[in-house]
Amino acid sequence: MRYVKISKENTYKFLEHLKATGALYAPQKISDRFYDFCAISDVHDVEFEYDRTIRPPRRFFHLPDEKMFNFDMTRHELTPVKTQAEHIILFGVHSCDIVGLRIMDAEFLDEQKDSYYETRRKKGIIIGLSCLPDEYCFCNVRRIEFVDAGFDLFFHELPDGFLVRVGTVTGHKLVDPHPELFEEVSADDTKNMELFEEKRSSMFSIYGNWDNLRYFLELRMDHPMYDRESEICLGCGNCTLTCPTCRCYDVKDLPAINQVNGERVRFWDSCQFRSHGLVAGDHNFRATKKDRFFNRYHCKNAYCPETTTSYCVGCGRCTYFCPAEINFKRNLMEIAGYRGAV
Amino acid sequence: MLITKDNIYDTHKCRLLRKYELTEHESLFLFRFEDPEVAQNWRYLPGQFVELSMLGYGEVPISICSSARRMGFFELCIRNAGRVTDRIHKLQPGDIVGIRGPYGNGFPVDQFHGRDLLCVAAGLGMAPLRSVFLYAIDNRWLFGNITIINTARYGKELLFQKELEAMKDIATAENIAIIQSTTRDPDWPGLKGRATEHMDKANVDPKNCAVAMCGPPAMYRGMFNYLVDAGYDPRYIFVTLERRMKCGVGKCGHCNIGTATSWKYACKDGPVFDYYAIISIPGLI
Repeated sequence: MRYVKISKENTYKFLEHLKATGALYAPQKISDRFYDFCAISDVHDVEFEYDRTIRPPRRFFHLPDEKMFNFDMTRHELTPVKTQAEHIILFGVHSCDIVGLRIMDAEFLDEQKDSYYETRRKKGIIIGLSCLPDEYCFCNVRRIEFVDAGFDLFFHELPDGFLVRVGTVTGHKLVDPHPELFEEVSADDTKNMELFEEKRSSMFSIYGNWDNLRYFLELRMDHPMYDRESEICLGCGNCTLTCPTCRCYDVKDLPAINQVNGERVRFWDSCQFRSHGLVAGDHNFRATKKDRFFNRYHCKNAYCPETTTSYCVGCGRCTYFCPAEINFKRNLMEIAGYRGAV
Repeated sequence: MLITKDNIYDTHKCRLLRKYELTEHESLFLFRFEDPEVAQNWRYLPGQFVELSMLGYGEVPISICSSARRMGFFELCIRNAGRVTDRIHKLQPGDIVGIRGPYGNGFPVDQFHGRDLLCVAAGLGMAPLRSVFLYAIDNRWLFGNITIINTARYGKELLFQKELEAMKDIATAENIAIIQSTTRDPDWPGLKGRATEHMDKANVDPKNCAVAMCGPPAMYRGMFNYLVDAGYDPRYIFVTLERRMKCGVGKCGHCNIGTATSWKYACKDGPVFDYYAIISIPGLI
């Protein structure tokens, strides 16, 4: 892998260059507590030390709602909507969200490629950024705290700038035209990266490896946690909407008022909604709130072969943004008997 | 064989050729592809399903219930149960619908070759199993003895009852046992009781028999107990499941089944599962 260094000051210049090549999105503070990936007009608004964005980066590639087809009911024509994708540069993506995007890729770019997702994803540039965990983070036990794929560039914080890992040819092409901004990595820089990693590792509230979690989940399927916590759950779906790997969607036909034309649209769905498992004849495959609660705990802890991780990347969003303050991490630790600070 | 366009959610136009009322709520629809190239190359396995698109109403997953041998044509047995299927039931011969698929794994009929075949259907379960049964009849030389058990609550709900009845004469000469039974119908003149109660009439050898079943979970549980006790080889016991298969391609998430170590999409990993999948994945039946 190629490594270069960039000073903090030059980083702003680099962001200016990025802005010129496509739509630049980066974390910004949007309220007292919350951050989001926002379109950047002034590069000095970019927030380098943010905890987590309320909306995960998947929304840039799998749109919250999307027109898939136009149709004509009299001529029986279904016409695909051509995806108009602009070049998107996502700066400041944490490792959990990078793995989240790789999980999205695994699902949407398998042998049955979703062309809407694919068109946008191909035009997306991912620039990672190192971070320090808070009490909600548990990416380390998910083996996700340090990524080695899924980014074009990855910025590691140093006291005087960033050590940049160049992950792809696209990454090289971003760095190469600007030799004046980058310098060689020195032994001191590497030492500083080591110290940062050491500091980061020491800040997690729990340690170990949760690969055996899914087995405990199955061996304790009748655990009282499900009853207790699903009782508190509001069924609002915040956990799935903020999740970087949730991808359920529903499709609807919207006929126009002339009863001739119309649109086939898709939009994000949530397994926490009653309608998710509802079929004709009023049968529901996940009829109770507990069924739906249970469903999410198992879905998120299933194994994704493409990333060799669980579908949960340990970003902490589902707990941080839960209005009922249901603690996903604590509940999982309770089932598996893991020790550590909650 | 799946023939997809550049956009996997795009459909092929199909023309309704015939509509035939089977029961009060279910009708049989015969379709043909409009595009000759698709018509000549479209293949499917028994147990696979298609997504049927009614513009302005939406898409529904429907099991294919015809013989896989008749190229370019396929039949769907559809219950009028919801908004989309109600619209489908209003179709007239000559009308156009959109089809994509076939999806799902289907029954592994290759593994069935050289074996006896037992098909057990309850209610609407006869729809996908008709495809298996007709496949076996069309490839008669690949199978040993064949038994089909078709059950429903009431006689008027027995799907393909007349079709199976009409086959009975030739069936005996072909070593095919056709058993039709109702569970709650006092006026039904024929056999009564659940599938397990008629297993003594099956003409198959448990040790060398493939089993294909479709019906409600209670029927599966009863049949599993019976079949394992009777010495049927569990490796050749298959069931097909129904879930909300909205996209058919393992994307939309609505047909998710299973638990953390075995998380499956019914549309992609199923809808056909073998006995060992059923006993190791909680929640399948």
